[in-house]
Amino acid sequence: MDSKTLIDGKSVDCDESEENISEFFMCCVCLDILYKPIVLACGHVSCFWCVHKSMSGLHRSHCPVCRHPYHHFPTICQMLHFLLLKMYPAAYKRREVQILEEEEQMGIFSPQLDGSSFESKQSSVLSSPSNVSSVPCSASEDKVCARMQESESGFISQDRVRTSSMEENNLPKTNCDGTCNEVSITDALCSACKQLLYHPAVLNCGHVYCETCIIVPEDDILICQICKSPHPGDFPKVCLEFGKFLEEKFPKEYALRRDAVEHRRVQLENKSSTACSRNASENGVQSLFLPGDEFPTLQGKDGSMVHLAVGCDSCGMFPIVGDRYKCKDCVEAIGFDLCGDCYNTQSKLPGRFNQQHTPDHRLELIKLSDFTHNLMLGIVRHLEDGSPFLPQYAFEDSEDGSAALESSVAQQSSDDSGVAPVSRDTGNDEDQSNEPSSI
Amino acid sequence: MATMNSGYQDNTPVPAVSSSKKPLPPEKIADTQSVLKRLQSELMALMMSGDPGISAFPEEDNILKWKGTIHGSKDTVFEGTEYRLSLNFPADYPFKPPKVKFDTRCFHPNVDVYGNICLDILQDQWSSAYDVGTILLSIQSLLGEPNISSPLNNEAAALWGNQEEYRKMVEKLYKPPTA
Repeated sequence: MDSKTLIDGKSVDCDESEENISEFFMCCVCLDILYKPIVLACGHVSCFWCVHKSMSGLHRSHCPVCRHPYHHFPTICQMLHFLLLKMYPAAYKRREVQILEEEEQMGIFSPQLDGSSFESKQSSVLSSPSNVSSVPCSASEDKVCARMQESESGFISQDRVRTSSMEENNLPKTNCDGTCNEVSITDALCSACKQLLYHPAVLNCGHVYCETCIIVPEDDILICQICKSPHPGDFPKVCLEFGKFLEEKFPKEYALRRDAVEHRRVQLENKSSTACSRNASENGVQSLFLPGDEFPTLQGKDGSMVHLAVGCDSCGMFPIVGDRYKCKDCVEAIGFDLCGDCYNTQSKLPGRFNQQHTPDHRLELIKLSDFTHNLMLGIVRHLEDGSPFLPQYAFEDSEDGSAALESSVAQQSSDDSGVAPVSRDTGNDEDQSNEPSSI
Repeated sequence: MATMNSGYQDNTPVPAVSSSKKPLPPEKIADTQSVLKRLQSELMALMMSGDPGISAFPEEDNILKWKGTIHGSKDTVFEGTEYRLSLNFPADYPFKPPKVKFDTRCFHPNVDVYGNICLDILQDQWSSAYDVGTILLSIQSLLGEPNISSPLNNEAAALWGNQEEYRKMVEKLYKPPTA
């Protein structure tokens, strides 16, 4: 894995070529080592940005590997994150620098995980005083760090993260020789049974459990025992890559765990217990949409609005279906939004993009008229496949599109009750082009 | 979070109506770096794998433009033929598919006279996990298994039923790509 030369010709101080990165941890989208890994409900893993950029803001998204449909942008799996940081510090830090550079250009940041940027900076300074310049954005990193610490108070899994970062701080110094990057079983414990993960599955909140330790209350929604956030969508499938890695890394312990789990399963079957978690999971999880049910572009299944290209910063629903609450006080370009459910449960989670949202910020319900909706649809479509920006009528008597857009927006906002009597279930341009030619 | 998604990545906060008054910011530079990185990895993998029947390489001065080559599969009417294709990668590759066209004339139900290809994975069924290799292999298998129900070339679609005549037509129209 000799990709050192890729970052502006500057090599990372640790020798990355000595890190033999397992194929299990290569992202199928960027073809590099996973960075801030996210595990989808189908069990496939990708980087934070690789997942987010692969998502559709128009309707449900599909896993890049298996096309499994999903609707929620999951949270970063911190266990994998810290595991990778520990095992491949050089490669992981190279990624960190590279992604931070890209994020600075975009003006949007992925969540700063406690310990990662802080610790890496520290150790890069420690291990190579001569090469400090290879971290070009240390000043802004400071800023990000500070922000991260500020917003951290709202972080649910704070304690766990803290612990792991403490462990981290003592370890990585010796890693540069490529021999000491050993991980132990304590780095891969199930959130529930506290034993080595067997058949690891990751919830939407990023917490990892053994498949058999995930218990779905019957007719209820699966709730993470650690952070108490509900897991939307399908029962999570085993993350096979992670499982295979654990099996390779800890063959004896993994085999023991397999025996124990199988033994218990047999016992349960003998008792013919119906409360077996697997059975409950088959029917118990309420999914917002039925499998394969592409929701209409304009409206959700129950007739509620779809907020195109807007995601919930708590549960990750993207796009938001139903009520949308927007923060009036967050200044970040990306904004801060919550879906109706998360607004009502008073979610304390920080934003998905490192926003400075705090509980005392004010949120407002966003109302959309059908007209706005069609307008947005036109814009999104245009960006997606280059189809005409707006229904033709909007362009008719103006030199450029922006003027037309402005005038139509002005009219729209002056009468939000729905200027355009567009019938609610039409999404196609023909119908829209019959609409107000007066604009 | 309002989107930073691939398609609308050029930073139009779509939902914020007021901000649509601003001119669209230019394409993000941030992406270019990751596109280059990814394409370099792909090139490496493609050269290492040595898949028979397909190959691809960037044009001299632009890594976003590649030339690919496909050999007609054995036991199909395209056996023994070779096709040159051009692949143009967008700045937000791999979140958007590359534009792929035949440079060599190809008499095929799903390829028009300009070389445009009708293939779902190059359009709405694209996935960011696909790469040059999977694209070329898909096109190679499309050659032998056309989708007759939605043809771009009606003549080819009509003739497909008669494989002998079709083979003759392929041979008649075939001009090997110049090196």
